[in-house]
Amino acid sequence: MIKRKTRNLIQDSVVSTVAVFIGLIIIFPLIYCFCGAFKTPHEFLTPNLLPGSFAYLGNFIEAFEKGNLLRYTVNSFIIALFGTSIRLCFSILAAYAFAYYDFRFKNLCFFLILGTMMIPADVLLATNYLTVSRLRLLNTYIGVMVVSFVSASQMFMLRQKFKSVPKEMREAAQIDGYGDISYMVNVLLPISKPIITTLFVQSFIGLWNAYLWPLIVTASSPNMRTIMVGITKLNSWEDENYQLVLAGVCVSLIPSLILFILMRRNLNKGEMDGALVG
Amino acid sequence: MKKSLTLQNRRRARTRKKVFLLLLPIIIFAVLFVYYPFIKTIVNSFSLVNAKGLIRGFAGLDNYKYTYGRKDFIMALKHTLTIAVINVPITIIITIALALLANKKRKLSPVYELLFTLPMAVSMSAACMIFKSMFSPSVGFINYFFGLKLGWYESQETALAAILILTIWMGIGFNFLLMLSALRGIPDQIIEATKVDGISPIRRIFRVQIPLISPTIFFVLCTNLVLSMMTSAPMIIIMGVSSSASATNTLMSMMFQSGFSSSDYGLAAVLSITAFSLTLGFTILSFVFEKKKVHYQ
Repeated sequence: MIKRKTRNLIQDSVVSTVAVFIGLIIIFPLIYCFCGAFKTPHEFLTPNLLPGSFAYLGNFIEAFEKGNLLRYTVNSFIIALFGTSIRLCFSILAAYAFAYYDFRFKNLCFFLILGTMMIPADVLLATNYLTVSRLRLLNTYIGVMVVSFVSASQMFMLRQKFKSVPKEMREAAQIDGYGDISYMVNVLLPISKPIITTLFVQSFIGLWNAYLWPLIVTASSPNMRTIMVGITKLNSWEDENYQLVLAGVCVSLIPSLILFILMRRNLNKGEMDGALVG
Repeated sequence: MKKSLTLQNRRRARTRKKVFLLLLPIIIFAVLFVYYPFIKTIVNSFSLVNAKGLIRGFAGLDNYKYTYGRKDFIMALKHTLTIAVINVPITIIITIALALLANKKRKLSPVYELLFTLPMAVSMSAACMIFKSMFSPSVGFINYFFGLKLGWYESQETALAAILILTIWMGIGFNFLLMLSALRGIPDQIIEATKVDGISPIRRIFRVQIPLISPTIFFVLCTNLVLSMMTSAPMIIIMGVSSSASATNTLMSMMFQSGFSSSDYGLAAVLSITAFSLTLGFTILSFVFEKKKVHYQ
C-alpha cells in the first residue's frame, strides 16, 4: 500500500514537471515579448533571450511618445467599457422578456436573436462599413462599438440564469409593490451577479482585443485608433524596431491578462459554463 | 364577466408594450448590423456596385465569373483551405493531449492549467506582432534557435507555415479548456470500471475517454473550422495586404483588400459569400458525419 502511494507520488511529480515544462513552452512567445521589451536596440541584434537589465525603460517611453499609446489606451478603455455596458444592458432587457413573459412571436424573436450567431462578423465587414459611414459614425467611439451591441450568447446565458430564479420570488416582489424595473434592479441582478461579472469581464477582454473592425472604422483618423491597431503601426518593413513593438504589445496585454487571471481564479464549477461562451 | 375581460385585455396590452420595449434595442441592432448587411452582401454579389457602395444595376453572375477567374482568387482559396485542413486536426490532437495530461487534479494543477490557457487572453494583433518579431529573418529568435536561415515571409509556403503556427497557438487555450472540462465530466465509475477490468491506460484513452468526449471534439472541430475559414488578421498584419497574385492572401484578407483598399465592393461581396457558403457547407458536412461517429450519452 505504501509502495503504491510512493509510486503515485513519483508519477504525479513527474507528470507535473512535464506539464509545467510544456506550459512554459506554450507561453514562450509571451516570455519572449516581455524580455524583448526591455532590450536596448543594440541588445536586440544579439540572439540572447534575456535583456541586460530589466531597468531599461527606453522602449516603453519611446513607444508612448512615438506611438501615441496613451491616447490609444484611453480610446480602447472607453470603447471596451461602454461597449460592454451597453451590450450587457441590451442582453439583460431581452433576457428578462424571454424569461418572464409569454407573447406572440416569442419563438420567432428568440431565434432571430440567436440566429446572429450563425453569421460570422467578418462576412459583414464591408457592408457594415458602408452603413456606418452613411450614418456619419466613422472615426467615432460609437462607430467602433456599434456592431458589437448584440450578443446572442450573453442573452442566452442570462435567460437561463433568470429562468432558474424561482417564480415565487417575483410574485412575492410584486405583492410587495415592486414593479418590473425595481424587481430587476433590487432582486434579479444581485442574484445574478456572478454570471454578470463573468460576462462583463469576458466581453471587456473581447472588445479590448478587437482588431479588424476598429482598424477599418478609424482608418482615416489616427487619433481615434485603439491600442490593438496602434501596436501594429509601431514598425514597418523599412524600420523594424521590434523592441518598441514588443514594449507596446506588453502594455496592451496588461489589462486582458490581469482580468483573465482574476477570472480564472474566481471560476468555480457553477460559473464554468458562463466562462466558456465566446 | 365583461369587466374582467377588459381587465385581461388591458393587462395583455400592457404586457405587449413592455415586451416590445424590452426587446426593441437588441432587435434593432440585430437587424441593422447583422441581417441587413448579410442580405445586402448577397444582393451586392449579384449587382454592379460602384466605388461608393451604391448599386448601379443587375450583374447576374458576372461578379462571380470575374472573381473565380482571377489567379489570386485560386491562390487565396488554396491558402484558406490549407489553413483549415491543417489547423483543425492539429489543434484537436494537441488540446486532447494537453487535457489528458492535466486531467487528474494535482498540487501543481492550477499552475499548468493557467499556463495552458494563457494564450486565450492574448489578442490577435498582439500575437501577430510577437510572432512577426519571432519569425523575423534578421533578428528573430526562431531562425537563431533552430539554426535556420529562412526568410520566413519571402515564399508563400514558409509564410503560410508561420501563420499556421500562430493560428494553432491562438486556439490552444480555449480548446484545451473545453477538452479538459469534458474529460473531467466523465463519471468516475466508468474509469474505475476500466481499471478493474485491467484495461491498459492507452486502450482506455482511445476506447473509452476519447469516444466519451466526442461531442466536445465535434464542437471544437466546428468552431475551429469557422475560425480558420475566416482567417484574415495575420495576413493583414504580418504580410501586409497587397493585390499582386504572389501575395499570401486568404479569402478574407483578399476581401479586406478589395473592399477597403480598392473599394471594389462587388468583388468583396463575392468573396464574403464564398467564404460563408464554404463554411456552411463544411459545417453541414460535419453534422452528417457527426450522426455516424459522435457518441452522446
